[in-house]
Amino acid sequence: MPAAAEILTEDQRDCYQELTNVAMGQAADRLARLLNAYVVLPIPKISVIENSDLNMALQGATGDSSVSAVCQGFIGAGISGEAMLMFNDASFASLASLMKYEGPLTQEAELELLMDTASVLIGACIHGIGDQLEIVFNQGHPVVLGQHCDLKDLVAYGNNGWDKALAIEIHYTIEHVNIDCELLLLFTEESVKTLNKKVDYLLD
Amino acid sequence: MAANSDGINDIHWLMDILQNIDVGLVVLDRNYDVQLWNAFMEGHSGLSPQRAKGENLFSLFPDIDESWFRQKAEPVFQLKTRTFTIWEQRPYLFHFRNSRPITGRSEFMYQNTSIIPLESVNRQADHICVIIYDVTDTAVGKLDVSRANETLSQIQTRDSLTGLLNKSSWLPVLEDYFQSQQPGCLLLMDMDHFRDLNHSIGHQQCDELLRRIGQGLKSLSADNYAARFGGEIFSVILDNHDAASSMELAEKLRRSVLNLGRNSQHDISASIGVAERSDQNGSAMEWLSNADKALYHAKESGRNRTSLFKN
Repeated sequence: MPAAAEILTEDQRDCYQELTNVAMGQAADRLARLLNAYVVLPIPKISVIENSDLNMALQGATGDSSVSAVCQGFIGAGISGEAMLMFNDASFASLASLMKYEGPLTQEAELELLMDTASVLIGACIHGIGDQLEIVFNQGHPVVLGQHCDLKDLVAYGNNGWDKALAIEIHYTIEHVNIDCELLLLFTEESVKTLNKKVDYLLD
Repeated sequence: MAANSDGINDIHWLMDILQNIDVGLVVLDRNYDVQLWNAFMEGHSGLSPQRAKGENLFSLFPDIDESWFRQKAEPVFQLKTRTFTIWEQRPYLFHFRNSRPITGRSEFMYQNTSIIPLESVNRQADHICVIIYDVTDTAVGKLDVSRANETLSQIQTRDSLTGLLNKSSWLPVLEDYFQSQQPGCLLLMDMDHFRDLNHSIGHQQCDELLRRIGQGLKSLSADNYAARFGGEIFSVILDNHDAASSMELAEKLRRSVLNLGRNSQHDISASIGVAERSDQNGSAMEWLSNADKALYHAKESGRNRTSLFKN
């Protein structure tokens, strides 16, 4: 909590929560149309994390099982960050059947499923937030962080020049099937200052 | 007037830039017919924009996997969302030659693509733009690293002479096997008087001997169950074998080692210790030490023989 208080107020946090609610609703709608299934709408979790906590945040998101993940950078109007989408490896079988993916579920096939879902979910969420704040976000190319790996191996590269980040965690589940995925939006500390100004404008 | 001509200039510049930018730009309509084809695409495909325009993408490039590409492009039309493909999924969308045909290390161009919706006045996405990035250098670099890592881990885990696991990577296999509660036997084999043999037939011949024994051990059980435990000591997990059948295998092994020396003036033989996994074994290490005791017993009672550990 103290880390959070340093870079955003309670009101600002509520506002981010509201913005995310709208954006992830749009994203869930697209996912539902892509999968033709009912997507359970979660409550997003807004927090400020430190570099050293990133692994813990991921752990909390997906438990201990083996995961596959992609990440994608985004930037716009001086605000930059990364979106990470993680799937519990147990989810792929259900995902394949929902997406009518035929053929054996090889590592390549899983990568396709991961990429297809990531394109839809990450894009919709980022643009959903951007639209409300009148920011056009540019997305970089997705990068595979790892397939079937331990969470600790996903982002094991330690200090890469940031201390704190605003983290928005969205945990998507699909009704009646075993699909479990976690979307994590991370905004850099400098971006949060700019974001806060935009948000204050909405709050006034 | 000045402002107006500025505007026209801007458009000219933009058109020039789009033509010359070093990424591929293709605009497709709802039927996947080409509407725009920039110089990058022309240069790499040899198809002029005049030839490409109005033609169907899949008839121009029959080797594009149509259903795969549609799966990526349809959400762009329908949901007005961007989609991406990366070279790890498929190395390329368009089969182009490497842009460095002489010094490049890959024959073809690795590509990432972004597919973005283009809205018309009625807010429908009835066209899409496919942006093609040349990522050959990144891809080749990444593949090199992963190959190098594979070789490194091979060097770290395997003995280079026999190709068997080395001790430090075999011990965890033994531990896992022990934890799995499966029945089985552990075999330890040590060559007899190996130092003397080294002196008499030379290191090279001895290496060849060890290599052939390693080959033979591979056929005894699963690949990662056999190891070169130390210099001339080998260890094998005989999965799901009881003591009797393990002793049979061990005897066969001992005789085939003996056979290796049949046509030479030198005695080549080995001693073998076998220990069956039992419920009394508190740990994998205890099991291993039982096999070691059996091996010691075989050595003590005259070498060139097989011993079974008994409580």
